[in-house]
Amino acid sequence: MTLLSKIGHFGRFATGILRRFATFQWSVNETLHHLSQTLFRCILPVIAVVMPFGMVIALQGLEVFHMFGAERLLASLASVAIIRELSPVLASVLVAAQGGSANAAELGSMAIEEELAATEVMGLDPIAIHVVPRVLAMTVACPLLNVAGTTAGIAGSFFTAVYIKGENAGIFIDQLWQYTTPFDITAAFIKTTIFGLIIGLVSTYLGYYAKGGAAGVGRAVNATVVNSILIFIAANYLLTSAMFGVIS
Amino acid sequence: MRILEAIIGAFSSIGRFGIFSFRFLKVMFRHRPPIRRTLNEAYRIGVLSLPVLLTIAAFVGTNLTMQGYHAFKPMGGERMVGMFVGLAGVRELAPIIAAAMIAAKVGTEMASEIAVMRIREEIDALSVMAVNPYWYLVTPRILATILVLPALTILSIYGMLVASYMVAVYQLGLNGQEFIEFLQRGATVTDLAYGAMKSIVFGIIICLVSCYCGFNSKPGPRGVGSATNSAVVTSAVVCVMVNYIISELVYGR
Repeated sequence: MTLLSKIGHFGRFATGILRRFATFQWSVNETLHHLSQTLFRCILPVIAVVMPFGMVIALQGLEVFHMFGAERLLASLASVAIIRELSPVLASVLVAAQGGSANAAELGSMAIEEELAATEVMGLDPIAIHVVPRVLAMTVACPLLNVAGTTAGIAGSFFTAVYIKGENAGIFIDQLWQYTTPFDITAAFIKTTIFGLIIGLVSTYLGYYAKGGAAGVGRAVNATVVNSILIFIAANYLLTSAMFGVIS
Repeated sequence: MRILEAIIGAFSSIGRFGIFSFRFLKVMFRHRPPIRRTLNEAYRIGVLSLPVLLTIAAFVGTNLTMQGYHAFKPMGGERMVGMFVGLAGVRELAPIIAAAMIAAKVGTEMASEIAVMRIREEIDALSVMAVNPYWYLVTPRILATILVLPALTILSIYGMLVASYMVAVYQLGLNGQEFIEFLQRGATVTDLAYGAMKSIVFGIIICLVSCYCGFNSKPGPRGVGSATNSAVVTSAVVCVMVNYIISELVYGR
């Protein structure tokens, strides 16, 4: 029962954001400020996570393809796996862990220190000022960070395959685009945009309604990371099903 | 100049983290651990985060299966899906996703609890009462994680396998027997053991980093928020990097 009423409350919050977005009650400057902050905060963690994963893929893939004598297929495996699935999911996990939790922490401490209430008292709309730019920035930042993650992941697997395992660099680059289609890249772009929207909405909702002092801020950050990852991984399954339905 | 300051700051926090771990290790081996608190923590870490972990693992499995199916279909190798799930899922993805979720759920909880205790000066109160805060706060958490995380990882691997079997058989219409046969070529029980061992390393990293971030929290709600934030990000990044090194040692040969 409480869960259902929470979902309804979240829905009202989300439609409120949508209404303010559609009626242009948000400032472009503020959005750009949050966008640059999010990108700046998340870019290093995203690269630092996706790149070792690309290296691991090269390692495991080479071991398998070695059995069949098909080491040349490694690059196609790496690019398909990283572009379609790994980079979107891992980059979004890191965006949730870094950007989403920062959003929740900032908004949560504003709520605890009653800065949001002060904004309202001054006759300004706290959601339009503090929330909408953050959600928009997160929605735009997630696909951009995914591009950085994809590049880093493929670079990581190239590095391991060529410099550590001694594969041929030319074959690697030649095979890179063998099975990857423009559709895969578009699909990853759409997926990460939706993930970014989910992360933005969940993090701002939990931060905005944080209660109970400093401990409440900690709880809000914790709940943000867990819930946004849960929701977007579930959404990922549906989106992947839908997109492969489009192809075939 | 600002870049130089940032680099020096990074190195000095690595050093502070080293001192923190050293102090903790000294306490851990010198005194008998608080067993009741350890069991309480183990219950909290193990039982309460199991549902989240299983859900995430199940969705990772479904996606892995679908991606593998559509990647191998053009080459006529639908049967390879089982092997793909075994290799990518059991060996790499399931342990690391389990670690990331533990960092997200348990690590943030630890960091925010300890940070709140720090800003309410409860940690200073512990020291005043001659209770070593490392012994009282960090030891039970680390021991509980070492106790529980291998089991959690293996359970989440099984959750992933069940989900991917269901998708392979009921959604994609593959042969179940064949799936299991190829799965056994991709991953063996040894891989489960490696996953469990890896998870112990991840658990120690997550606990130490989260407790360190909590202990060094800045005052106010903002401090608690940013301590929690940096706990989850740092431990996730370090876990993935360590994962590469472990994989290189175990499978790289």
